[in-house]
Amino acid sequence: MSRRLMWAILAVVVVVAVVVGAQGSGARTPDQRRQSIASGVRCPKCPGQSVLSSDAPSAEAIRDLIAADVAAGRSDDAIRNRLVARYGEDILLNPPRSGFAGLVWVIPVAAVVGAFGGLALAFRRWERQAPGGPSGRDRALVAAALADEADGIDDPHGEGSGR
Amino acid sequence: MNAALGTAGVALALVSALGGAATVVVAQATGRRRVLRQVPSFVFLCALGAVVATVAMQRALITRDFSVGFVAENGSRSTSLPFTISTMWSALEGSILLWGLVLVGYVVAVARKFRDRLSDPLVAWAMLVLFLVVAFFFALMAGPANPFHTVADPPLDGPGPNPLLQDHLLMAFHPPMLYLGYVGFTVPFAFAVGALATGRVGEGWLVETRRWTLFAWGFLTIGIVLGAWWSYEVLGWGGYWAWDPVENASLLPWLTGTAYLHSVMVQERRGMLRVWNLSLLCATFSLTILGTFLTRSGVLDSVHAFSESAIGPLFLGFFALIVVVTLGLIGWRGDVLRAPGRIDSPLSREGAFLANNVLFTGFAFVVLFGTVFPLIAEALDDRRVSVGVPYFNRMSGPIGLALLFLMAVAPALPWRKASTETLSQRLLWPAWSGGAVLVACVVAGVRGVVPLVAFGLGAFAAAAAVRQVVLATRRHGWRGFVGRTNGGMIVHLGVVMIAVGLAASGSFAEQAEARLAPGETRRVHGHEVRFESFSESDADPSRLVRAAHLDVDGSALSPRLQRFPNASQELGKPAVRYGVGDTVYLALLEGPRASDDTILVRIIVQPMVAWLWVGGLVMVAGTALSAFPGRRRRGTDPTSADLVGSRPVGGRHSAAGDADDGGGAGDRPAGDLSPTGGGDRDPDAGDARQPVGAP
Repeated sequence: MSRRLMWAILAVVVVVAVVVGAQGSGARTPDQRRQSIASGVRCPKCPGQSVLSSDAPSAEAIRDLIAADVAAGRSDDAIRNRLVARYGEDILLNPPRSGFAGLVWVIPVAAVVGAFGGLALAFRRWERQAPGGPSGRDRALVAAALADEADGIDDPHGEGSGR
Repeated sequence: MNAALGTAGVALALVSALGGAATVVVAQATGRRRVLRQVPSFVFLCALGAVVATVAMQRALITRDFSVGFVAENGSRSTSLPFTISTMWSALEGSILLWGLVLVGYVVAVARKFRDRLSDPLVAWAMLVLFLVVAFFFALMAGPANPFHTVADPPLDGPGPNPLLQDHLLMAFHPPMLYLGYVGFTVPFAFAVGALATGRVGEGWLVETRRWTLFAWGFLTIGIVLGAWWSYEVLGWGGYWAWDPVENASLLPWLTGTAYLHSVMVQERRGMLRVWNLSLLCATFSLTILGTFLTRSGVLDSVHAFSESAIGPLFLGFFALIVVVTLGLIGWRGDVLRAPGRIDSPLSREGAFLANNVLFTGFAFVVLFGTVFPLIAEALDDRRVSVGVPYFNRMSGPIGLALLFLMAVAPALPWRKASTETLSQRLLWPAWSGGAVLVACVVAGVRGVVPLVAFGLGAFAAAAAVRQVVLATRRHGWRGFVGRTNGGMIVHLGVVMIAVGLAASGSFAEQAEARLAPGETRRVHGHEVRFESFSESDADPSRLVRAAHLDVDGSALSPRLQRFPNASQELGKPAVRYGVGDTVYLALLEGPRASDDTILVRIIVQPMVAWLWVGGLVMVAGTALSAFPGRRRRGTDPTSADLVGSRPVGGRHSAAGDADDGGGAGDRPAGDLSPTGGGDRDPDAGDARQPVGAP
């Protein structure tokens, strides 16, 4: 089988597998919803932890709030909004996407994309400066090096000493 | 007595570091090279001071000398010996002392390794930088972070270290490993500054510090993995990485250091990217200082509660000084640093290393920016914002997948330029391995695009790494495992294991809180958890232990609740059963209820957590293998173009740097001579050994 055919088959196999694998495994259980919301909410009393992972009483209280809201049939976003209304915006571990705080999402992405753009430009520039013949300066350098070689041949440490 | 001894040790180290620095300056300024022979004496005195201070601190801790402030605040009579020793690095001042000790250890090693070349200006400059850094840390201990201040009215007993820190033996190892990593980057940084100051910015200093950098990087890796493991075994929430500022502070230099380890190969091979490599190294060192500032100054909320102290601004000032000096030096040497040559094609080993660098530095930027953003938002927008786990996970996910892809493709790329024909031939079966694993996962019922892509790319990358090692061993026998490229492939295998472990345990964890009566069973994700009995014990004088004994699929697990004399509430100690597949994690939340004897236990089942720790071990093994020299390169093989413009051509710029003890070009490990050259027809292999610019 030709190599090109093998690559084509692989591409098809991968696409099919990913499409099949992307099909959801059914609706989330209330338990999973509670956990996914709680993992994105900051514990008010214990810096750096989410209410899902903290055993502090205040975290437990918020977990109970979330559980009650899930049981009441509210959507994830509605539950988060209620928490924000009660505790302030910084209760969510995910920074907001709008306003000044939105910059935390935009700037790093822009920086990485920009860096790749810069790299692409650099490659184009390198491609354009295709190596021509040796310039006058190159020739001068070679001559200097050869002259140097002639009188510095006993240099024990230079490159080419075979040490 | 201990306080006086310790203070004397700190003073001795500080004074001799300053003396050493002054000696180097005098020698450089007056040109009297013979003065430099005094340098080893100053190094010896520094080491003596650091050892005396450490011994005094340990003696004070072990003999419960509560007249020493640090012991009064952090020691206790009930702490066992191992944790009494590790008390030194469980709080701010002692951790600075450990830092100083490790740093002096590195300085001693450098002075020994380069003892015959101390009069070489490059080495002299490096020693100057090292002395100054030592002086900074011991000045901290002499002033604001003094571990030996005395207590006028010593208490009879102290509170002991934070209970979380005396719960697991990993705490005795994690910080020293981390510091060996952090501090180790000082050495290549010092040589980089030396190279800039002397103008010998060719490859000599790079080759000299290659193993030092690998050593530091390897220990930083161990430190980070051990920290994650400790967090998993102790904290009771079933997680190993919380993107906490202190964790991020250790990850930042690791990311830039990893970028450096890759891009440095481009410079050694082609003589390019000089400014970039110097910048990465300086960034790595300055990030260790910035991280220390962020985590020790109290400006950021962190679970790692280091006491606030006045040293924050000093670290910030030191950081600013490093940045200004290195940027100034790089700017000053700008014309000399401009390297000849160009990169021929993005589809080449060099191109892959550049993409790797963009991703790693981008990753570091994301982590740094996300960590400090709450400060920025509060200062500029007057609003409090949390930037937590969900943000970092979402931002780092795509970068991680891109890195996996690069890791799969890059090892097959030849230097200079790859033809699609070469790539297609070399990558076919690794890619098919990835495809096969992907299909197998889907058939086994794994769902979700991100984990599936991670598994597929992981298998692709692993197969690419295995392919390299197989080709190399076929060609060189056992030597196919050593050397930079081959050892690096082993590191890649470890990284793949960790990536797969992260994707699996992060995507498919199942958690339940269960209230169990004695004899009752709960089934979580196919695992039977039965509550057998409950016990209480005060056999250990440092704590009261209450333990639940549970049976998980036939084996016993006992999560505990422990009460320490100095803590207001009970602290949990989870119990973990690792498996090749699922890990079962039990954390006891409440002991038996009076009414019905039921306990509350958190049961977490996560796949492939053990892969993280094994992967870390494999990475370390690979690092050790890459530190060994591979097959020797012939000394006559040119590896890079020479520095043009500053000196006559001829490789002399590195002559002095390479003149000694086998660290030079002749000894350059040749693992990077493309082991693929053996198995593959490599149209570019011959070309790649030509000097840059050869037609």
